[in-house]
Amino acid sequence: MASLIGYYSLVFGLCASLLIVFFCIKNFQNSLIFDNKVLTFTFLQLFFVIISFLGLIISFINSDFSNETVFNHSHTTKPLFYKISGTWGNHEGSLLLWLLVLTLFIFLFLLKSKDQSKKYRILTLLFQQIIIIGFFIFLIQTSNPFNYIFPVPSEGLGLNPILQDPALAIHPPILYLGYVGSSIIFSSTLAATALNYVSVDWAKHIKFWILTSWIFLTLGILLGSIWAYYELGWGGFWFWDPVENVSLMPWLALTTLLHCVLILEKKNLLSSWTIILSISTFTLSMCGTFLVRSGILNSVHTFANDPERGLFILIFLFSLIFLSLIIFFFFHKQDKKKYNFFWLSKETSIVVNNWFMMYFLTVVLIGTTYPIFLEVLTSEKISVGPPFYNKLIIPFLIPFLFAMAIGPKLKWIKSDIKDKFYLILFLIISLLLSAFIIKNLNINFLLNTVLVTSAFYLFFITTRDFFSKGLKNLSQNIAHFGFSLLILSILLNNIFSSEVITNLKVGETLQLDKTQIKFESIEKKNINNYAAVIGKFQVRDKDGNTQILNPELRIYNQPNIVTSEADIKTNLFTDKFMTMNLVQNQDYFNIRYQIKPFMIWIWISVLLISFAGLTSLLKKKNYEN
Amino acid sequence: MKYLNFLIIIIIVFNSNFLNAQEQKLKNEITKNLRCLVCQGQSVYDSDTEFANSLKILVERKLDEGLSEKQIYDFFKEKYGEWILYDPQFNKSTYFLWLLPVLMFLLGGAIIFKLFIKKKN
Repeated sequence: MASLIGYYSLVFGLCASLLIVFFCIKNFQNSLIFDNKVLTFTFLQLFFVIISFLGLIISFINSDFSNETVFNHSHTTKPLFYKISGTWGNHEGSLLLWLLVLTLFIFLFLLKSKDQSKKYRILTLLFQQIIIIGFFIFLIQTSNPFNYIFPVPSEGLGLNPILQDPALAIHPPILYLGYVGSSIIFSSTLAATALNYVSVDWAKHIKFWILTSWIFLTLGILLGSIWAYYELGWGGFWFWDPVENVSLMPWLALTTLLHCVLILEKKNLLSSWTIILSISTFTLSMCGTFLVRSGILNSVHTFANDPERGLFILIFLFSLIFLSLIIFFFFHKQDKKKYNFFWLSKETSIVVNNWFMMYFLTVVLIGTTYPIFLEVLTSEKISVGPPFYNKLIIPFLIPFLFAMAIGPKLKWIKSDIKDKFYLILFLIISLLLSAFIIKNLNINFLLNTVLVTSAFYLFFITTRDFFSKGLKNLSQNIAHFGFSLLILSILLNNIFSSEVITNLKVGETLQLDKTQIKFESIEKKNINNYAAVIGKFQVRDKDGNTQILNPELRIYNQPNIVTSEADIKTNLFTDKFMTMNLVQNQDYFNIRYQIKPFMIWIWISVLLISFAGLTSLLKKKNYEN
Repeated sequence: MKYLNFLIIIIIVFNSNFLNAQEQKLKNEITKNLRCLVCQGQSVYDSDTEFANSLKILVERKLDEGLSEKQIYDFFKEKYGEWILYDPQFNKSTYFLWLLPVLMFLLGGAIIFKLFIKKKN
């Protein structure tokens, strides 16, 4: 029943789209004021999509296996929470979520843009409707979440256990708010371009939407990363996996846009570049969807594998790019203003930021897509993994970090470097500190010292700015401070991580020169949808401190998969991370024990960065009031 | 197959504890750069499949034979194709992969220089 309502809601939603387009065109030509019918229909459309989404959720809660999606991805013994999160843990449901966010954002946009011109609002709505209609058709045609199966199966196939996790349950909705939220930037940019409204006022207005998407995208990536850290059981948090990369690319583009729009807002320059960036951000999100949904990528996240779907998104994507290019080339009037600023100025520093960000984006883009093209063209298969990204990104990170420290200190148009004393003092302190940290370690001294120096430098400079600048540019300073903290934690984490891999059976003790690991006992437990084997390990470090760690093996009933749950003991300085795995047909367990310093600071710094975005949003609100 | 499993396990159990630390580190380094061919986007180091485990032992053995890191990569490339290496080598088919980002960076720099800086002088 819920499925049926869900399906018809989708059809009604599509009809609402057509009505909106009709009234939009009528309103655009005839009247001077914004027709409230349009707003009503937009709300109606959102309402239908919400009903449809609820319909799917209810089917999941009731384990209604006459619904194909529910049958494929749920099971009666699954906890309620994961029944609900299973709604978007699959291809069809996640696309319905896409659609929900698309319609939600355009509705919010219409509510929030009442002070904008009628034509601009209507055009934005029209462009957004093009995307929405595309997704409606895509959903109904190729990935209907409400397909009916008969005879009705008595039990479902279950959700992949590694997706049954609290962080991953909320990861897709948060990520999508950022990912799909960029659609509103796309639509309004096209509208503004067509109306020749890319200006200071527009920059002020669009900044809100850029920041909103950016905050959610940052948080979404963070959640995914935390999940990968404790659930995949490898102890890493970023793998340069293609699916991670496709979420990073829009983030890079969005971050670039966030900086670029500042110049547009303050100096009314770089309008073409802003337009190109806005279009690219959403295009990259769509590309990501295409790459993931088409199953082209070899990745842990791929759960759909259907060429028809890939083809549809590809065609749709190209039509959108084509449309944007036409609008850009026919309507956009190049700004003929002189770039009237000195080389040492805030403008230059932001342009330099854009330059480096674009480089990082290019590296990720080429690294992700090159193997695909190479395989199609020459049928040669290559892998592009972490070493590639490290080699191309790390050397460029050094000047980037220095620029991040100095850039915000510069003034518009023309500037001097002030506070030279402090700038040099902090450089010397950072250098000495880094050299002191690195010198006794068996790693490349020069590269690591310079790298850590640049991160410390940014760290010290931004810390001092909290005191010297106070509330001025607070959000920017928090964000840059957060970034320095992120890079520092990643670097130190990399340098000081250590691990032990061994095989032990119950009762055995492994004695190393620094640590002692004692496999004390093993316990079996039966929980709703899985059986757990919990190990008890006593770890004694060189100072004689002992800690008990309980890594776990879970044997899920449906589908029958064994997962390994890490036990992580976190404190402010270090994470102790232990996983165990079965060694087949043996009493032995494969134990992996890792000590990972500063892990928690990686998460905290990313939270700080998104918090900076939030403060910027709130500050803007105060401005307007 | 069962015997092979058994053999592998025996080898893992008896071998892993006796490796010296330096070699262990190099082994981790190498296995991190090898793709586990039967997994979805995992490295041999991260994976616990039979395939990955047998590759870990193979790396160990090659290290014992005195092969260098590069020789081991070449050995695996020979055996499984370039797909197995996470660090793509610089050759005819990867010129673009390695150089294009850097070229783009230079191009970006040139555009910035031409548009903003040169005009001023």
